[in-house]
Amino acid sequence: MKLFLKDHQMLVGFYVLQMLLVPCVYWLSGEDRPMKIILYGMLISTVVLLVYLVVRYFQLRAYYHLLQQPRKWVKEPFQTLGNSVVAEAIQELLHELERNRQNEIGQLRTSKEQQVVFMNRWVHQMKTPLSIIQLTLEDVDDETAGSIQDELDKMRKGLEMVLHSSRLEQFEGDFRVELLSLQEVLRSSIAENRRLFIRRGIKPDIRMEEDLKIYSDSKWLRFMFTQILTNAVNYSDSKSGKKVIITGYKQEERTILDIQDEGIGISSEDIHRVFNPYFTGERGRQYHESTGMGLYLVREISARLDNRVELFSELNKGTLVRFSWVHTKVPQ
Amino acid sequence: MQSILLVEDDAKLAGLLKAYLSRNGFQVQVTDDFRHVLDEFVKMEPDLVLMDVNLPQYDGYYWCRQIRTHSICPILFISARDSGMDQIMALEHGADDYITKPFQYEVVLAKVRSQLRRAYGSYAAVQQEVKVNNGPMILYPERFILEYDERSTELTQKEAILVEALMAKAGRVVSREKLLEQMWEDQHFIDDNTLNVYITRVRRKLKELGAEEILETVRGAGYRVLDLGPSAQGKGK
Repeated sequence: MKLFLKDHQMLVGFYVLQMLLVPCVYWLSGEDRPMKIILYGMLISTVVLLVYLVVRYFQLRAYYHLLQQPRKWVKEPFQTLGNSVVAEAIQELLHELERNRQNEIGQLRTSKEQQVVFMNRWVHQMKTPLSIIQLTLEDVDDETAGSIQDELDKMRKGLEMVLHSSRLEQFEGDFRVELLSLQEVLRSSIAENRRLFIRRGIKPDIRMEEDLKIYSDSKWLRFMFTQILTNAVNYSDSKSGKKVIITGYKQEERTILDIQDEGIGISSEDIHRVFNPYFTGERGRQYHESTGMGLYLVREISARLDNRVELFSELNKGTLVRFSWVHTKVPQ
Repeated sequence: MQSILLVEDDAKLAGLLKAYLSRNGFQVQVTDDFRHVLDEFVKMEPDLVLMDVNLPQYDGYYWCRQIRTHSICPILFISARDSGMDQIMALEHGADDYITKPFQYEVVLAKVRSQLRRAYGSYAAVQQEVKVNNGPMILYPERFILEYDERSTELTQKEAILVEALMAKAGRVVSREKLLEQMWEDQHFIDDNTLNVYITRVRRKLKELGAEEILETVRGAGYRVLDLGPSAQGKGK
């Protein structure tokens, strides 16, 4: 209504001007029409204008309504705008744009899906050569074997990371929540990464209350633990004797798992950014090839699995990563 | 001798697996015609099938279903896909277990043995008890018994793992890291000092057998068990 009135301001102004001109013309031409007739003529003319405006308003109601509330259109783009010429033309235009847009989105989606499929295939294909290197390596005894094994483990972890970050997008179809023993999942994650611990001379120290149970997905959980453990070991000075301390306990409302290293820590200006994607930080660049994706993925996965993840750190003292779960609450 | 049909299209991987399993006392046949896997299975009647999922003509699931119409012999899948869904798929198509790439030899051997034991009973298992030979020295890794020249001694489980790792590579140096890795289990973390303790205990037991000198320390590298005989590499019946 408002927009309709604004749109027709011009017309009304123009009409008023004309109505003022009519008595002027009479007055100039010298014909002595009585005021009554003149006013009567003006009244009829005004009524005709009003009728026009009312009819116009009802014709274009949908159209003006839409223009005032564009969000409604975005939500439901294929509505009709009434049957005036302009409304139909605009409706046609909007529908055309929308069809175009949806086509493009469709194409993008397909190409994105293809890319994901391709990447998945590729990662899986790479696992065959990795297997062959792994098996060949077991028969090699000299010193280089250990270092090749190290690199092999890095490649394997890299591939896992690619795989998991692409799976993250289709998360809904790719997880299975069950009641898990935190202790078991954690120990198997540590065992998976044992070569890393051994090579760097770091000892895991587990202090856990018995039978802490959580609802989660074991695959994603192990992936997260691997990220955190890898960080903890890599950022510990490899002077042996250092430990990664893992504590599990219950608080009032939450089950808590702390993974603490005695490593180089994170500076206070970096600490707020460690969960950002591709953030490697001063230390990350100095020490080890880091992609900056590990903690980002951990945060994303945590959000989806409905657990909390926090990070505390003090430079040169170490870093503590804290996972916590609300007692026996099933994640969505 | 128990037989295994290996259906794997990567020739190198198939070769490595075949060599390893043969060394461990299995008769292995590798498929080279991926159009007639079932025919080959029927002809060979293997005790166990190791099957890759991604194969040229039909996938492993297909062949698994085909084999299941003839036989209930254990089928182990080897696959790069490790998501829970993929494993469930494999089991639903009739597989008995699942090995994900990249894997280590020990995992394959352990799963093959456990499937065979489950399928053919403990009687068969007793008949083909695993032995690790090094000339006159024999280790029974499942009973933790070490024999040498008519004498025998009992080991703990950890010591058995340690001795097995060393004997399997008799004559060659096994690094401390490798030993740590094999002994490290979910429940117990072994560090350098603990490994020293185990080595000392193994030495003491070897002394009981009169074979103290066969375990050598190689400075800066690891440990070596002397190669005592021709069958040093063999594990078998």
